[in-house]
Amino acid sequence: MSANYALEARDLSVRYGGVTANDGVSMHLAQGEIRGLIGPNGAGKSTFIDALSGRRAIAAGSVHLAGSDITALGVVERRLLGLSRSFQRTSIFPGMRIGVQMELAASKIPDADPDEVMRELGLDRLAGRVADEISYGDQRRLDIALALVGRPSVLLLDEPMAGLSVEESMKLARHLRNLARNWGVSVLLVEHDMEVVFGISDSITVLETGKLLAEGTPDEVRAHPKVREAYLGSAA
Amino acid sequence: MSAIITATALEDTQVKRNPGVMRLCAMAAAAVAVGLTVNMSVTSNGLMSLLTQATIYAVFALGLGFLLKQNGMVSFGHALFFGMAGYLVGAAVTLTGWPVGMVVVLTVAAIGMFAFGLALVIVRVPGIAFGMLTLAIGQSFYVLVSKSRGFTGGADGMNINFPAQVFGMELASFQNPSSMFLICWLVLVALVLLLALLLRTGFGPLTEAIRENEERARFIGFRTLLPRAAVFAVSAMVTAVGGVLSALYTGFVSPESLHWSVSGTVLIMVVLGGSRTLWGPAVGAVVYYLFRDFVGEHTTHWMSIFGVSLIAVIVLWPAGIAGGVMRAATSLQRAAARRLA
Ligand SMILES: Nc1ncnc2c1ncn2[C@@H]1O[C@H](COP(=O)(O)OP(=O)(O)OP(=O)(O)O)[C@@H](O)[C@H]1O
Ligand SMILES: [Mg+2]
Repeated sequence: MSANYALEARDLSVRYGGVTANDGVSMHLAQGEIRGLIGPNGAGKSTFIDALSGRRAIAAGSVHLAGSDITALGVVERRLLGLSRSFQRTSIFPGMRIGVQMELAASKIPDADPDEVMRELGLDRLAGRVADEISYGDQRRLDIALALVGRPSVLLLDEPMAGLSVEESMKLARHLRNLARNWGVSVLLVEHDMEVVFGISDSITVLETGKLLAEGTPDEVRAHPKVREAYLGSAA
Repeated sequence: MSAIITATALEDTQVKRNPGVMRLCAMAAAAVAVGLTVNMSVTSNGLMSLLTQATIYAVFALGLGFLLKQNGMVSFGHALFFGMAGYLVGAAVTLTGWPVGMVVVLTVAAIGMFAFGLALVIVRVPGIAFGMLTLAIGQSFYVLVSKSRGFTGGADGMNINFPAQVFGMELASFQNPSSMFLICWLVLVALVLLLALLLRTGFGPLTEAIRENEERARFIGFRTLLPRAAVFAVSAMVTAVGGVLSALYTGFVSPESLHWSVSGTVLIMVVLGGSRTLWGPAVGAVVYYLFRDFVGEHTTHWMSIFGVSLIAVIVLWPAGIAGGVMRAATSLQRAAARRLA
């Protein structure tokens, strides 16, 4: 059963000292699925992505990629197996040219094509520019582009639209839909912009204080009484 | 169409980043010509000897600067590799009858391996703590060697009795300022060229990426420990070549060559010259020596004058002399392009 999922987390727990930032969270991603991950500030969304990508050690639970248990693997192995991520705080190579850093990212993965990713995200005209000279929006897309080289099977995105204009957000949302449809990438999307999340997600997971609050299709989650009460408030 | 644009942009990128092999070789040839010219036009023995000393330290600074450029790390203990090279060569020449060429190759290789092993442990330590660690390791060797008894001569240092023939040349060629200047200059140019070629391989962008954002480098699939240790080892080996040249030139090695103040002085040369280019630190070394000589002749307070000048350079040109030169060259190029357009 679980072999059908591109990515699956079972009862993940993460602690920072006494704080339990993730408390037995389970989640799965089918191939080509976009799942929104929402929750108030400090709910444990970034921690969850850190745990899935191997950046943060977990206290309990397991992570499975295409059915195989990757809980014991490190960051580098997970990336090479096709589990990739972007960062809430833009993480790029500021002093390097975009073309050079994309080539570098591609050099580690057989048959990876950096140009296709740059075209897909509209970065191709910027190949010769140094990363800290391009606009903030372009830097955010570069962060995602670095993660997308080699067409990973799973992409974990931590607030990719933060700080972007409405127009840029819409454009990025379209890119993500295309990636999921055309490349079969499964996306876990942490995002505060509810319009975007409910607009492009196939399914949604809601976290609150480290615990799973609700899970289901956008309509189910929107109608969920606990979600309405705890998170969406009267806005939904 | 956009593929073509991307391709040309990339080529352009690579040219700007790492000039083509032909251009590198042309630049190396020009540098050799400069060395020959200096060698022929300088008649004062004192100045020649100063320039030889400066070129030896330029090799040292090249090694230290490479670490800063490709790893972003500051070592306060690099004199360890400089002095150790002298002692290893001295010990091998004294205790074995091996040809000096072989001794030198083995010494540099041994220091490379030692530095690599050391780096596997210490490059994990971040920032200032790394600097302090290199300082402590360097100083412990200094104390060890100056307290030691036996043929290394303890605090007095050790004379090295090289055979009459070294690398198929008369020993005298290595101990005469004029010919030794040329030898050191050629070694310096060859090392800069070798390092430039090394950075043209995947090793260049990889180590640059690790220096810029190590965590992200891991998240694009690169293990970072080995490349960082390799940079440290290469840096130590280049510095060791400087130590070998110094031992050949003077036929002598002392614990002072291991002292942290030597590391500190060379660090000043690196900062002065600028570490964003390979050749910056080497320029820094030459300027440092010329400046010290020039100001030292007129005043005993040369160190404070030097300090003030150094601050001025850092304020005006944060990327050192090399950074300032590169910036000036870029604006000249832009001005020329505007005139053409
Ligand atoms: N490095 C850390 N050390 C200690 N506590 C941490 C650390 N990182 C996060 N936390 C705590 O863990 C909890 C979850 O944080 P996390 O960053 O995962 O939340 P988030 O849902 O991503 O929030 P946001 O929407 O603000 O990005 C918070 O209480 C936070 O204070
Ligand atoms: Mg977060």
